[in-house]
Amino acid sequence: MKIFINFGKGFITTGKTTKMVLFLFLINLLFSLILGIPMYNSLKNSLGASEAGNKMVESFDYIWWEEFRDEAQGLERTFTPAIIGKGAILTNLESLIQMSYFSAPPLLVGFVLFYIILHTFLAGGILSTFNQDEPRFAAKEFLQGASSHFLRFFGLMLFSWLFLFVINKIIQNVFLPIIVDISSNSYSEIAPFLLMLALNVITLFLLFFVQMVFDYARIKVVLEDENNIFKASGKAFQFVFKHPFSTLGLFYLIFFLNIVVTVSYILVKEIIPQSDILTVVAAFFLHQLFIFALVWIRCLLYASQWELYRYLK
Amino acid sequence: MVFKKYQALSIFLAILFFLLPAASQETFCKQIANYTINVKLDTEAKIIRATEILSWTNDTRYPANELWFHLYWNAFQNNMSIFLTEGERRGRSVSGLKKEDWGYCRVDSIKVVTNPYFQEYDLMPFLEFRYPDVENLYDQTVFSAKLSNEVRPGQTIMLRIEFESKVPRPISRTGVYKDYYFIAQWFPKIGVFQNGRWNCHQYHSASEYFADYGTYDVRITLPSDFVVGATGEHREKIDNEDGTTTHHFNQHSVHDFAWTASPRFLEYKENYEFAPEKQTEITLLLQPEHIRLKDRYLNAVKNAIKYSSLFYGDYPYSTATCVDPAYNSRSGGMEYPTFFTGGAYFLTWKGIPRPEGVTIHEFGHGYFYGLVGTNEFENAWMDEGFTSFLDTEVYYTAYGDPLYNRSFFGIPVTFKEVKIPIESDGISSHRQTYNMDVMQRFAWEFLEGGSYGANSYSKAELMLRTLKRFMGEDVFARMIKAYSQRNWFKHPQPRDFYAVVSEFAGRDMSWFLDQFVYGSDKLDYAIGKVSSQKEKKPEGWFDGEYIKREIETNRYRSEVIVRRLGEVKLPVEILVVFEDGNEIRETWDGQYRWKRFVYQQPSRLQRAVVDPEFKLVLDINRTNNSQMRKPNRLAPFKWLSNWLVWLQHALEFFAILGG
Repeated sequence: MKIFINFGKGFITTGKTTKMVLFLFLINLLFSLILGIPMYNSLKNSLGASEAGNKMVESFDYIWWEEFRDEAQGLERTFTPAIIGKGAILTNLESLIQMSYFSAPPLLVGFVLFYIILHTFLAGGILSTFNQDEPRFAAKEFLQGASSHFLRFFGLMLFSWLFLFVINKIIQNVFLPIIVDISSNSYSEIAPFLLMLALNVITLFLLFFVQMVFDYARIKVVLEDENNIFKASGKAFQFVFKHPFSTLGLFYLIFFLNIVVTVSYILVKEIIPQSDILTVVAAFFLHQLFIFALVWIRCLLYASQWELYRYLK
Repeated sequence: MVFKKYQALSIFLAILFFLLPAASQETFCKQIANYTINVKLDTEAKIIRATEILSWTNDTRYPANELWFHLYWNAFQNNMSIFLTEGERRGRSVSGLKKEDWGYCRVDSIKVVTNPYFQEYDLMPFLEFRYPDVENLYDQTVFSAKLSNEVRPGQTIMLRIEFESKVPRPISRTGVYKDYYFIAQWFPKIGVFQNGRWNCHQYHSASEYFADYGTYDVRITLPSDFVVGATGEHREKIDNEDGTTTHHFNQHSVHDFAWTASPRFLEYKENYEFAPEKQTEITLLLQPEHIRLKDRYLNAVKNAIKYSSLFYGDYPYSTATCVDPAYNSRSGGMEYPTFFTGGAYFLTWKGIPRPEGVTIHEFGHGYFYGLVGTNEFENAWMDEGFTSFLDTEVYYTAYGDPLYNRSFFGIPVTFKEVKIPIESDGISSHRQTYNMDVMQRFAWEFLEGGSYGANSYSKAELMLRTLKRFMGEDVFARMIKAYSQRNWFKHPQPRDFYAVVSEFAGRDMSWFLDQFVYGSDKLDYAIGKVSSQKEKKPEGWFDGEYIKREIETNRYRSEVIVRRLGEVKLPVEILVVFEDGNEIRETWDGQYRWKRFVYQQPSRLQRAVVDPEFKLVLDINRTNNSQMRKPNRLAPFKWLSNWLVWLQHALEFFAILGG
């Protein structure tokens, strides 16, 4: 019940700060366009005035894409059919869980890293906004809050990465060799497949768990003006272990909402043909609506966790 | 004991068989290298002990004063063999092998058997390891035996060879993994005597095999719970008192014999009539975890038989055995006469060509390598290229375009909006390696593995597809079928293929084929420029009269420049389309670097395409083959939009790492 009460409160709070969500969404969009413009130019130059352009509007010209891929450098290498629709989500999910993002083009890795740090900065603003008696988005207060918490949030981010690093090392050095060993002695590919799948699920769970704990650490920093990030982290762990059902239940409820939105997006996207200007533009707006929804859900997660923390404290 | 009984019996039968006139058994061709082998598999020691009776006939005009043999499994007896050193260069590491993991083939005894031409004597003192390709003393994959009396043209010599082979852990193509045995290239095998010389290459990492046709009569004794599959007909199965079973296989008119055994196999047999009154028995040996793929495997074999028969001649053998290889066995995707391995993953969906692609390919080798006995060491493109062409043609005819797929977390995901057209098959690897090598090279002499693959598989396939579209489908279909059937049970060379192509084209086609077989240039035609503008109004002095007309013209002067960006020269067609729908087709011999086409039309030019029918599938850049006067600006926006959502999602998704 606690989960749903605080989910509801978080929902209302996020609803009141839709301008903030819009602001965060626009940052995401504008930031993406920094790389989007060179990608547009690459696509435009490669397609040129060729008939491949027509085919790429009607469907997907595989022959053109292979030529593009064979010549691709840096960021262009990320343009593959595997990023269409469901592929985009699966590619990112796999990259996150298997921690394979460092194999991406260096420009992209640096760019995402910078965005993560920027997001750490913005997280201070988001929580400061929720910390108001009557949460309302105001750019000045948002940025003030973001600035005042940034160093501590940055410290928390690095501290959380230490946990992720340890998890990664355990997976790489303990679990993966076991699976490789089982795989090399297995009768079929099914056992290694299932073990890898289980390892991926456990990794995702641990990753989410660490991030959830540090969400509460950030909430503690803002709400209780805690300056010591280690103390805040320790208290956050205590809090989560004291209320495992509420904290995990709320987290996974919102994760489920994320999945529902994602699946809905994929289903709707698949029925839009994108074969003329109207449907291409419609698909563009659908894409952006999807991203907006994800940003909204992220704020909802913060707001709900914020409410839950206050409720249980 | 049982083994010895069969051994004695088989020697007697073999002698009897080979002494009888060749007509005693109806065969498809001259039986030059005939083997009767009695083999016993010791599953505890993973050792094969066998007696081989070889009857070899000198079918040339030259006498042979020595015999050369392959001992392929000695490639796996140490890490210094040519196969493994070359393999290491290609990224195939063999580190971590234990003492019992290595394999070998050891000849314990070799004797000439008395027959009308020869008296019995021991050949062991005359054995010598040979290094015809690379002087590597650690490589014992070829040996010769000096004869005291030469084998004259038409004469037959019979040998009795006793050998022991240690089954290696799977390194490549053969070996034992748990209780799955895949036994190929496992016996002392005679080379091919041609033009007074032995063609008997060492075992290389990037090459396959070459042998003469003959009859294989093989009895395999092993524990009774094993399911066995092999080249040819399974004639008999006798349960012995010691808990073993002897399986008798026989096949004439083939040039190799391989077999597999495992207690885990699920065995399915089906008679398949692939053409009126033409049928063959299909055997599928399936891993139990792939049971849901049974029908897909069987249908793939049926489609392969049906369409290969249609395109290349009726499949002549009475059996076709498809083996679903065991996990980790490294035996998948290999071919032997009437017997081949597929390859599957337990998760596969409609639109993903697995196991179909590899199954069709390996069956297809039954034609190009099996029936058409190409020398795979020396002319790899003539078997791999032709088979790649065959498998693609059969697959697309039977199943249509496959879908692009990618595996996430080990689960294959298809993208239904991305179909893979037949023209894309192999072009990417050709594009990346076209200037590394020429196609016609010994298989182990390519710059790198990628170049061997691209030249032997992709480029040859692309050349055949280009030839098909260049000659016209009907002519090509008749030509390729004729080439196939005329060379069944022969060892054709590139010149034999050239001759058939030229015959059906009605002119010498060397100019076409040479550019690809012996050349490493690129084929790339492009539209260099298109333009269209209103015709100029006449203005100036004309025959002494100054003219300045004010009449507006409604005609347009359009210009198309076609360019040859590569060195390969082929005649091409050009399609020019105008905005009013009018179309003009041109042809250009493609000899010079470019050609300009100019038109005066009542309408503006809309687009120009060089090679509009996509005949030249070897063209490494298809995108530049067309140009529209007004580029489509929606395409980059559409795909930017799709790419952008991936990036935005990535940013939002990875942001959880920052709070």
